[in-house]
Amino acid sequence: MTTQGRDPLEPAPASEVRATAPGRTEGGGTPASDAAFAIEATISRLLVAGTYLAIALVLVGVVGMLLGGVDPLARGERPAFDLGGIPAAIVALRPEGFLWLGLVAVLALPVGRVIVAGVGFLAARDRRLALVSLAVLLVITASVVAALGLEG
Amino acid sequence: MIAGLVLLVGGAAVGLFGSLLGLGGGILLVPLLTLGFGRPLREAVAISLVSVIVTSSAGAGIYLRRHVANLRLGMVLELFTACGALVGGLIAFALPVPVLEGLFALLLAWVAISMLRRRETPGAATVAVDELPVPADGRPPAAHALALRPAGFVSSLSGPGYHVVRLRLGMAGAVFAGIVSALLGVGGGIVKVPLMNLAMGVPLKVATATSNMMIGITATSSAVIYLLRDEINPYIAGPVALGVFVGASLGARVVNRIDTRLLRWLFVVVLLITGAQMGMKALGL
Repeated sequence: MTTQGRDPLEPAPASEVRATAPGRTEGGGTPASDAAFAIEATISRLLVAGTYLAIALVLVGVVGMLLGGVDPLARGERPAFDLGGIPAAIVALRPEGFLWLGLVAVLALPVGRVIVAGVGFLAARDRRLALVSLAVLLVITASVVAALGLEG
Repeated sequence: MIAGLVLLVGGAAVGLFGSLLGLGGGILLVPLLTLGFGRPLREAVAISLVSVIVTSSAGAGIYLRRHVANLRLGMVLELFTACGALVGGLIAFALPVPVLEGLFALLLAWVAISMLRRRETPGAATVAVDELPVPADGRPPAAHALALRPAGFVSSLSGPGYHVVRLRLGMAGAVFAGIVSALLGVGGGIVKVPLMNLAMGVPLKVATATSNMMIGITATSSAVIYLLRDEINPYIAGPVALGVFVGASLGARVVNRIDTRLLRWLFVVVLLITGAQMGMKALGL
């Protein structure tokens, strides 16, 4: 993790925030700058909250796993990934349900970031960056399709 | 239960040292899981990618809140890292494992040499917000980028005090970074940061923050392939990812209180020894 010198999930001190991000521009900001500011702030909130949520789910799964005496290194002790089976596993309070959901949340975070950015760029009428965002999502989709193709 | 706790502690150690030394977790995690826990290389790569996404997402949230990362440039480049990661993720299942092990050994040697050559003091890679050029009107960097839009697309990717250049080279390098990430389970920052800083005119701190942000999509593009190919064992990925997150968070809190110079030297030795071990494994020795 390259966030040296700062707790990655701690808010920046007020003095640092003022140095480069004075908040809403006071009587001088353009709509474009406000839009850019808003996009970054929204994405930041999504990533921080999403990380906490994903880690919390994984934590529940790990605790359940440890209390249940699961040996992660044992051969055969390995649930296959089944997206549709996650809700049932969670309702049944099986640790793998929480682990899978947490891991899926981890993978979904960057995708969510791209979606939010794309919507923000579209709202700011920045078509090029909105198209770039869409293209990134298409590449992720292609990854899924390619992986399913390999499976089949 | 013991094995789970050991994985947790191992992940925490990786996260801690990675955070202290300014490295992503992958370079440490893959050898730990393969050499230390005897896990198959592809499984180790898959778990490493998941862990890297966790730390990247946490860090990116902070960098974006402080308007340090260049979101626009990052999004353009990550389109190409994602393409590279897609290709790399598919190639990873076609290449023999010894070849992947050999490539990882080379990467470890490269990182060790890079660390030896790094002259800045520990913490210099820290993105100190108040050291970035501040626009006269105090508006965040992204604001200026958007305001520059009429001057051209490449100009719109620039920031206060710097102009992005050689975008095509950056795109090509980003594809390579994505392939490396997918094959070896690292974030790709070892390629992206020097690419942006040395070739594209981006200040080091902005390059570091932007690379950190990009790692999420880079790793996700290939992690999805590993997930759907059943290469991720949640019973291992869970404790490891949790441990890495805890260790990295702790490292970020204490890094300014620790002289990491000696740690860096020790780490170079560990990297070289681990690289030699993986190289021997690749050669079947």
